Amino acid sequence: MTNQDKLRQKLLLPNRREIMSGMAALGAAATILPRGALAQSKRVPITEGDFAPLPIAIPNFVAGTPADGEVSAGVTGVITNNLRRSGLFAPIDQAAFIDKTINVDQAPNFQNWKTINAQALVTGRMMRMQDGRLRAEFRLWDVNTAQQLAGEQYNTTPESWRRIGHIISDKIYERLTGEKGYFDSRVVFVDETGAKERRVKRLALMDQDGANVRYLTRGSDLVLTPRFSPNSQEITYMEFGQGDPRVYLFNIETGQREIVGNFPGMSFAPRFSPDGQRVIMSLQQGGNANLFVMDLRSKTTTRLTDTPAIDTSPSYAPDGARLCFESDRGGKPQIYVMPANGGTAQRISFGEGSYSTPVWSPRGDYIAFTKQGGGQFAIGIMKTDGSGERILTSGYHNEGPTFAPNGRVVMFFREPGGNSGPSLYTVDVSGRNEQRVPTPGFASDPAWSPLLS
Amino acid sequence: MKVKVDKTVVASVILHVVVLGFVMLSFSTRALEVKPEESVGVDISLESQVAAGMKTGKKEEKKPLVEKVAEVKPIDDAVGKIEEKKQPVVTETAPPPQPKAEEKPVEKKPDPPKVTEKKEEPKPEEKKPEPAVDPIAEAIKKEQKKPTPPKPPVQAAKPPEEKKIKERVFDQSKIAALIDKRDPARQAATGETLNSNASLGLSKGRAGDNSATWGSMFRRQVENCWKKPYGGIEQERPEVAFNIRLKKDGTLEAMPVPDGTPSTPYARAYSESALRAIIQCQPYNLPAQFFDEWKAFVPVFQERPI
Repeated sequence: MTNQDKLRQKLLLPNRREIMSGMAALGAAATILPRGALAQSKRVPITEGDFAPLPIAIPNFVAGTPADGEVSAGVTGVITNNLRRSGLFAPIDQAAFIDKTINVDQAPNFQNWKTINAQALVTGRMMRMQDGRLRAEFRLWDVNTAQQLAGEQYNTTPESWRRIGHIISDKIYERLTGEKGYFDSRVVFVDETGAKERRVKRLALMDQDGANVRYLTRGSDLVLTPRFSPNSQEITYMEFGQGDPRVYLFNIETGQREIVGNFPGMSFAPRFSPDGQRVIMSLQQGGNANLFVMDLRSKTTTRLTDTPAIDTSPSYAPDGARLCFESDRGGKPQIYVMPANGGTAQRISFGEGSYSTPVWSPRGDYIAFTKQGGGQFAIGIMKTDGSGERILTSGYHNEGPTFAPNGRVVMFFREPGGNSGPSLYTVDVSGRNEQRVPTPGFASDPAWSPLLS
Repeated sequence: MKVKVDKTVVASVILHVVVLGFVMLSFSTRALEVKPEESVGVDISLESQVAAGMKTGKKEEKKPLVEKVAEVKPIDDAVGKIEEKKQPVVTETAPPPQPKAEEKPVEKKPDPPKVTEKKEEPKPEEKKPEPAVDPIAEAIKKEQKKPTPPKPPVQAAKPPEEKKIKERVFDQSKIAALIDKRDPARQAATGETLNSNASLGLSKGRAGDNSATWGSMFRRQVENCWKKPYGGIEQERPEVAFNIRLKKDGTLEAMPVPDGTPSTPYARAYSESALRAIIQCQPYNLPAQFFDEWKAFVPVFQERPI
């Protein structure tokens, strides 16, 4: 035993010594290991993604009862159309679907959706409940990660099934783009019918996708520049009555209309303040026009500019602290920005040609405008300090930009010239995805509402 | 007998494991300790440290400069002993470390013969050069002009090599000789004092980094799949990194793990779009010879700086 112990000692000690003498080798290994760890954490920058639309599968919502088939297909159609028109999504043709029947209460078979290259999947169900109301539920799935991204349920009256479609569209848009949606919104515009010499212009209201058109005026008087109130219930616009054009308020729900103030000359280019409590507009004073703001409750009017020039088309920043407007005080019409309570105005547009109809994005980052020059009318945007000007579209006649509630899309009207009339178009602030908005007749002067919900 | 033999084997195995583990731990803990500041601090103020170290330990008080280095090393018994024997002698004679650097490079002149003996180099260096390497690094750092003495020896050492090599017309061997020289130097530096050379050694250690090759291949492939949401890019300029592990066939070994959680809805959508791209684009076609490098790495999805 002692011999063995000695042996062990002999064996062990050399082992230690061997190990210790192998320290250098181990040290080398230890120095190599961190290198390996470094290699493991090697960072590879990925910068050039594609802005291609996201492939999304939207199978028809399941009908809770046989009678709900029509509304289920209708809601699915609204969602599909909204997402496609946004330019950010590419709804996949339902004919390509492998799973023809959907069970809303189970997780989808993601492999079948992966096979048809869908990256997102929307499943849902519409069901008429016993109290007569309509229940809508939907789930948004990420096909690649097999995760549910969103899932909600709504109860509503059967008539407002389209709004349900818009609200679900907004949820999907918001979840997948990280931006607020804009589908559950409306557009007020000037509907134009009849021959060019005797054009009848009526105030009209529709969903942002062109559905549910309602006419708000009968067309006996000329109407221009309708603008939505932030609370969505009221519109302010300019109407040529028997005499000078005047600014009016119009309540969509009640149909009541009211003249804003009683001023000696023309009042025009009205727009609501962000809180909906004031209307800012231009008042004619001789050959000049200046900006005034009127408190709708106290009816007090405050002058904001006093120049021997035409100051018009005012538009508040979303925080209400500043406003932009158009003025020809420098010779040609240009865009100026000044504090909301008046003060020194700073010119921000310096490009070739003249700038008009500025409108501040509800997101606050851009000012959209009409730019005239070289025989062309263009729609463009610039940052609020005048930098980063970007023309979104240009042609014979484009005018009257208005922002979608999320500030990502601009609507405007375009006249092709000749005997035809104007139509409404939308374009992304990136300049991509120009789309015509379906209207019953000719249409001009659009104004986008805030989100309804 | 067999059982007893087994016990010895078991004992040896256990000891191996223990010692290896101990060594690894000691190395790892060393790696975590950033000591270059310590050595500098010691040089500058002895009294303050003595005062500050009253509570912690008197061991440091004796000879702060040398002992701190020694304290770190007790884990490495063999190496530490060797150093302790040498360094005290040097420190007593010459307190400032810089003169050492000058003296020892001179000692290096005898090295050239060592260079010729390529395999035998590491062992002699383990004993002597290790202390010598630190002063060199310090000297190079602190005074680039004074180290001229250390430089000439190196230059002097090389030219003879080159001449010899030129005679044999082996250009590649010349490179190899240089590489052989550097490697032991690094090991010694990192093994004894991570202080001064740790960062240098690591950065140089990435010489075998082929990520430019496979990284760009991966980038091209995943960028084809990446459909990024273009909502708030102008405002937020998001960035998301994933820890991903790939198998040899280029498929994902596990679900990529995002580094951190997105703070905004847009950042979340951005992160998810990147995750979709990583998953959808597999399998990745990457050069098999670099598998060790790309089996685990971190793709960073970001907006190009303006």
